Amino acid sequence: MRINSKHFLSKGLKALTFTLALGTANSAVAGLNIFACEPEYAALAKELAPDAKIYSATTAMQDPHQVQARPSLIAKMRQADLAICAGADLEVGWLPMLQMKSANAKVRSTDQGLFFAAEQIETLDRLESVDRSMGDVHAKGNPHLHFDPKRLLDVATALTAKLIQLDPGTKAEYESSLASFSERWQAAIPKWEAKAQTLQGSKVIAYHSSFKYLFNWLGLEQVADLEPKPGIPPSSSHLAGLLSRAKQGDILAIVIASYQSERGADWLAERSDLPVLILPMSVGGNEQSVDLFGLYDSAIDLLLSAKQ
Amino acid sequence: MTISTMRLTGVAAACALISTQAVASDPSLTNPAISAVLDGYYQSAERPMSERVEGFGLGHTEFALSANIDDMFYGKLTAVVEMHDGETELGLEEAFIQTLAMPGGFSVRAGRFLSDIGYLNNQHVHTDAFSDRPAVYRAFLGSHYFDDGVRLNYVAPTDLYWTMGVEAFKGDNMRAADVHGERDFKNLGVYTAFTKIGGDAGDNGSWQAGLSYLRNENGRLTADEHEHVAALDDHGHDHSHSAQYTGENTYVGDFVYKWAPNGNYKYQHLTLSGEYFRVTDFKPIEEHDDHDSHGHGDEGKDYQEGWYLSSVYQFSPHWSAGLRYGQVDTQMMHGDHFDPQKLKETEVSLAWHHSHFSTVRLQYTNQQGTNFDGIEDDNVITLQYVMTLGAHGAHQF
Repeated sequence: MRINSKHFLSKGLKALTFTLALGTANSAVAGLNIFACEPEYAALAKELAPDAKIYSATTAMQDPHQVQARPSLIAKMRQADLAICAGADLEVGWLPMLQMKSANAKVRSTDQGLFFAAEQIETLDRLESVDRSMGDVHAKGNPHLHFDPKRLLDVATALTAKLIQLDPGTKAEYESSLASFSERWQAAIPKWEAKAQTLQGSKVIAYHSSFKYLFNWLGLEQVADLEPKPGIPPSSSHLAGLLSRAKQGDILAIVIASYQSERGADWLAERSDLPVLILPMSVGGNEQSVDLFGLYDSAIDLLLSAKQ
Repeated sequence: MTISTMRLTGVAAACALISTQAVASDPSLTNPAISAVLDGYYQSAERPMSERVEGFGLGHTEFALSANIDDMFYGKLTAVVEMHDGETELGLEEAFIQTLAMPGGFSVRAGRFLSDIGYLNNQHVHTDAFSDRPAVYRAFLGSHYFDDGVRLNYVAPTDLYWTMGVEAFKGDNMRAADVHGERDFKNLGVYTAFTKIGGDAGDNGSWQAGLSYLRNENGRLTADEHEHVAALDDHGHDHSHSAQYTGENTYVGDFVYKWAPNGNYKYQHLTLSGEYFRVTDFKPIEEHDDHDSHGHGDEGKDYQEGWYLSSVYQFSPHWSAGLRYGQVDTQMMHGDHFDPQKLKETEVSLAWHHSHFSTVRLQYTNQQGTNFDGIEDDNVITLQYVMTLGAHGAHQF
């Protein structure tokens, strides 16, 4: 009887192992299941892992600082093999809750299926010390790094290494995807830079430090912020204070992101006769921004439109 | 008093030590998150079964410390400082560990924690849109039910969010009133089971619905041989977090729907939520044996119930307004019979949020009581602040 039951057990285990192996094999064919915190990383994942099942937790119309740890996101994270996020505490108000609630061991740690873009590069505006009186600032620097083409390429390289770590069987495909993306991206950079040549030295008033990396790359200067402090929405007294600066005649435009309210910008634009530019914050932020290339094209085209 | 002050000093010293370490190292998600909540108020009267007193007072002044202990365990400690009759008391509201890396969508939480039944119960009170929990929570769960125990939770690998869990608790705070102190209570008193489903409804909306069951082994009242001794009468100033009205079986249904334009919660969003509680089997067994023999409005109705509906609209980043209606129908034991009683509350609140971390709230409550702890119709106005400092905590849906 004992022998029999043992035999039965080992048979059962074998069957189980077989099923598990089959399941793994199946998932390898279907590609990785990727959870992207922001649409720019969903777009990057699509370039680098075209066969993966990719879900973006937010859209370009949503402020990534203020996202609800809602049931649908828990359900998606529960099934993910890899979570790609901006990092630098951008998602600090919701990502830890999703990790806790989704109970998915795979995406707990950056040693495994968790990837922070900001950890792969040197961020701008790092702070030695952070005080809440400064507003909602991140000590680890500005997390909106996807508008710097060179930094984004470094992130792409690091992400490919992560994809290979998680799915070594598809190494060759990931490497060729990176090579293809890298080639197209590096060809696009000088074209963008040439096109945006005339923007160099232009001054803008913008909302938050959303486009810090874009301005930094193209040589634009953000001389004022619609927000009195990071994370604090424009107040009427702050806007009134910006009016004299806006009227000095050296400002190209007022720039806001696709998820930011137009109210403050419109108020200031009306009184200072400046154009308001709504730049796509990410892929999907306007019609032209279908992928990362379209996103950069659109942002530069919109800035140039204010030049004419 | 001396003892609690000494304890406080100890905690403060520990905090200072930990915060130095946290600042010195990289304040990443995996290092200790330290936060405090300051809650102060003035109110014109007291809501029944509430922890908040009339006049000036401090609400949930809490201090929380949480971190991943290692790659398998997460730990959280929440200490609450409360003032009762001039005494400073330090309470532990949470002290739990939770597994992080169990396979198959399972997780285990153990220690002292908030039960996951209903919608509001596992939320921290400082995130509420009203100064007090709905009357049904105050009556049946002691405002919010936390206890020492263990939870097993499972999340299904489906696109529709589906979670289910079971819990077992000591249940001391859920014991039925025991006027004579003679009762032999079971020390494993409370078991719960719950399930929640949820998802998105288009680009703008998200929802969640849940069903919960709570078994309370000590929830049934015992017969009171003494004439006209109100078993649960003297609790106008009960601050012990104990449930005021208990029963053996509690059933809860809850839902929440949140809406924001394009799913962008920065500028405007609406939260609709509601819960229904039914607490049954609270009458002493003896009552059943010879039922129909009492005529004092005791028509064999062996359940108590309550519900609320709440709507909160944040119409700008700085302002939000809420409207809530709730009622609770309970049974009060008077000697050998039960008298039905009812409390209805209609509440409006207006809150100003200077930032994500600071809220000042004005709330008006209209109460209509029928035999409820002697509460007649009453109006309560509360002016309250709730501010958080330290680590930016992640909020639940």
